[in-house]
Amino acid sequence: MNRIYTVIRSLQRHVETQHLASQQRQQFCIVNTLLTPVRRKVLRLYIMLLLVPAGCWAQQIQGRVTDQKGQPLPGANVFLRGTYDGANTDSTGAFRFATSRKDTATLLVSFIGYEPFAQKITIGNTAPPTIRLTETANELNTVVISAGVFEASDEKRMTMLKPMDIVTTAGGGADITAVMNLLPGVQRVGEQPGLFVRGGAGTEAKVIIDGMIVQNPFFSSLPDVQTRGRFQPFMFKGTAFSTGGYSAQYGQALSSVLLLNTIDKGQNNGLSIGINLVSANVSYDQATERSSVSATGYYSNLKPLFALVPQNVSWSHVPGNAGSSLTYRLKTGKTGLLKVYGMYSDSWLGLATRNPIAADGDSPFVNLRQYNRNVFSTSSYTDSWNEGKWLLNAGLSYSYDTDATTYDTQDFGRSSQRMQARTVITRLLPRNNSVLFGAEAHRLTLSNAFNGTTYTLHDTYGAVFAETQTYLGRKLAIQSGVRGEYSSLLGRFNVAPRLSVAYKTGPYSQVSAAYGQFYQTPDYQYLYRNPNLNFERADHLILNYQVIKNKRTFRIEAFHKNYAQLVSEFVRNPDGTPANFDANPYRFPIGQTNNIGTGYAQGFDVFWRDQTTVKGLDYWITYSYVDTKRLFQNYIATATPTFISNHNVSVIMKRYIEKITTNFGLTYTFTSGRPYYNPNRTRPGLADSQFLTDRTPAVHNVSFSASHVTRIKKNLLILYATADNLLNTRNVFAYRYTPDGKERYAVGPTSYRSFFVGGIIMLSKKAKVNVSEL
Amino acid sequence: MKTLIIILIAALTANSPVWAQSAQYQQAMTDAITAMRSLNEKSAATEFVATANRFERIAGAEPGQWLPRYYAGLLYVYGGFSGKDAAEKDRYLDQADKYLKEAEAIDKNDELAVLNAYIAQARMVVDPMSRWQEYGPKFSEGVQKAKAMNPANPRPYLLEGSSLMYTPAQFGGGTDTACPLLKQAAEKFATFKPATNLHPTWGKSEVEGLLTKCPK
Repeated sequence: MNRIYTVIRSLQRHVETQHLASQQRQQFCIVNTLLTPVRRKVLRLYIMLLLVPAGCWAQQIQGRVTDQKGQPLPGANVFLRGTYDGANTDSTGAFRFATSRKDTATLLVSFIGYEPFAQKITIGNTAPPTIRLTETANELNTVVISAGVFEASDEKRMTMLKPMDIVTTAGGGADITAVMNLLPGVQRVGEQPGLFVRGGAGTEAKVIIDGMIVQNPFFSSLPDVQTRGRFQPFMFKGTAFSTGGYSAQYGQALSSVLLLNTIDKGQNNGLSIGINLVSANVSYDQATERSSVSATGYYSNLKPLFALVPQNVSWSHVPGNAGSSLTYRLKTGKTGLLKVYGMYSDSWLGLATRNPIAADGDSPFVNLRQYNRNVFSTSSYTDSWNEGKWLLNAGLSYSYDTDATTYDTQDFGRSSQRMQARTVITRLLPRNNSVLFGAEAHRLTLSNAFNGTTYTLHDTYGAVFAETQTYLGRKLAIQSGVRGEYSSLLGRFNVAPRLSVAYKTGPYSQVSAAYGQFYQTPDYQYLYRNPNLNFERADHLILNYQVIKNKRTFRIEAFHKNYAQLVSEFVRNPDGTPANFDANPYRFPIGQTNNIGTGYAQGFDVFWRDQTTVKGLDYWITYSYVDTKRLFQNYIATATPTFISNHNVSVIMKRYIEKITTNFGLTYTFTSGRPYYNPNRTRPGLADSQFLTDRTPAVHNVSFSASHVTRIKKNLLILYATADNLLNTRNVFAYRYTPDGKERYAVGPTSYRSFFVGGIIMLSKKAKVNVSEL
Repeated sequence: MKTLIIILIAALTANSPVWAQSAQYQQAMTDAITAMRSLNEKSAATEFVATANRFERIAGAEPGQWLPRYYAGLLYVYGGFSGKDAAEKDRYLDQADKYLKEAEAIDKNDELAVLNAYIAQARMVVDPMSRWQEYGPKFSEGVQKAKAMNPANPRPYLLEGSSLMYTPAQFGGGTDTACPLLKQAAEKFATFKPATNLHPTWGKSEVEGLLTKCPK
């Protein structure tokens, strides 16, 4: 009895320790054979019970795993669902394993980069199957819609820019829109804020934060004074700059949209203080697992800078601003996220400017001052259901902006208010396909006081849109959308179709095309007088080719745009004779208007970025060419508009030197001359064909930046220095004439060579820049 | 005979499917963990995948166990460090994320918080300049969570210490900040007992290796 007991015990132990190791299965069978002579029924029963599952009767399953072309896939995982039976494929893609399962089972094959495979098999079926796996969609084998899109994102890995690029580009001054001005397709205009894209005016581009149009994205400006964007680059996780042919989700921009997506989670950085030549700011960030808060406050005054850098204009009121912002983000559940952002700012400036209507005996200069107050708030809620198959994006936004302007002794006032609500629902379908639909509503109130009259108007704007993304295989993608818009002020409705197609031509290259119709409500300064105007319209056609390989990017894009229904003024003297063009940048149009304006823009742009060839050096080169003419506004003949430069080149270099933890940047930009109005060419008797035929000289600019990271008593310190227009070039942006047409004067930057230094200190031990390497 | 019957009954009950599965589980896990331990930082990424496959098979047969998913995820993190280019590294880390998510659906514990942090660290290493902003906070979050859930677990201290060790002093890293954490990790390893012989034990040799860089 004891003997049997010992045998059972030892067997049991043996089984416990060696149960599944397949190489030892043979030994089980040998032991089993050795023991059969023990003619004890119970024992045999027990041994059978114990050993049958281990599989001396096991069936062999074998086969091969390959890709679609029949190339073997070594290292694939092949197994039967719900069992331990399985193996990895060998170097020839072959597999072989034993199973105790009988009848049928589900054979599963998984391999990284390939779609999982499942098949019901009949065990004992001798034909060894060859399993062909399909590659999963990835950046190398799947096409993406790319026409007209320039993206900076960390989430999408194959983008041409990274969010960090926005703060490390010399000449960009950590201003998002200034960096966008260095991208292909943009015409640089030195004396006005805004993005001038492919022949479009600054007003034809919209800045959109989390889907909401920003009414006043730039600090308020006076004519001929450039201003910065209002938003800090670190607020955003992704930036997508569309130079045309953009999605049906957006509207009200004839040429371009700049889409900014705010970050979902703040960092627990505590207090940080920044001081530079012109401003001081504090920010405080606190994050918990579910929520985060960021608060900032700043004050800036250009006086110290002006003491060091000679100014080309006579400032009567040194520019400055003060403001604050507050952001709150809350995870409302597993998938829900609520973000609320609010900001408030005041800004002011005053200068002596050329009096465009100075008569004989008047002073040629007139004092102009402006005080601006701006409030902007936006909140968004995103959520997903059904394992992320349904996505919701909803938002509410309110903005209020008011300018108090004094021209000489006259007071002007201007204010705008925009409320908007937006909802988008997206359904994700298998194989990257998706469909989305959404709606938005805006309520605008604008008022403008001019010559003692206050003009006020209200517009209720509504839009609905739908868009589908369809993949026909991995190589061909089609995005088609349609947008319908209604404006209560115009009393009109429009329907704008959009279509993009992309085809993958190789593992690293693709071609893409986009077509779309785009509508925009005319500049409100016309609508005060004539609310019967129609939407202005632009049609875009874009062709794009790009190669991204080994941290080198080449992209070329050609475009044709057609402008129609542009607002046109009847330019007449009081006696009815044709009047001369009025180049006065402060003019307020009061004449008759209609929508007969037309125009076109065509050209191409090239982008090359290389982060590989020279070790440690990252450089990019862009070239943009545009040929465009319009007859619109108060133009007296079809001409290339004054904001157009036919050729734009930018060369950007960056180098990070790890030893001294310092990043260096050098940027060169070239902008060819722009048309300006010469009244002597359109005097009575001269042909209109000479209208806007004069060109300013080209604009050159070399700028430099350096930023250094260090630590003082465990607090992170970032020091930076920038220099703009290093060569002190006397750039001219435009020429204007005195009212008598006798004297020409230049409009240039408010200063030539200038420099800037500053630093940020993060007063928190938690604050760290994690550049961990392993 | 009576004894035999008792033993037999005991044996038969013990040999019920539940017992068999659990023994099979024990064995398969023990074997796969042994295979995993034979790997080191010089092993090819394909070897990590081959071993991860074993855990994947176990996970497939054991829907209620977080450990095989944890180990599969861990192996893919190693793959994420040793992959040949950014795209491959990210593919491995996508897998690691998948197993972490599966494991977290079964259980939430300090070791999974460690894995979460480890994945974030590996993601960051792929492209530190442009990823620290996103993955830095995720890494710290995982480390802090693990420390809070089980103060005796040495691995969050190891991860934090190793990350700081390779961060330049200007960015708040270096031996000054890393070594105290690594010493804490070493102290915790001295007394750390895994819940079972299948639970994670890794990290002791890594701590010892890193501590040699610390001033005595």
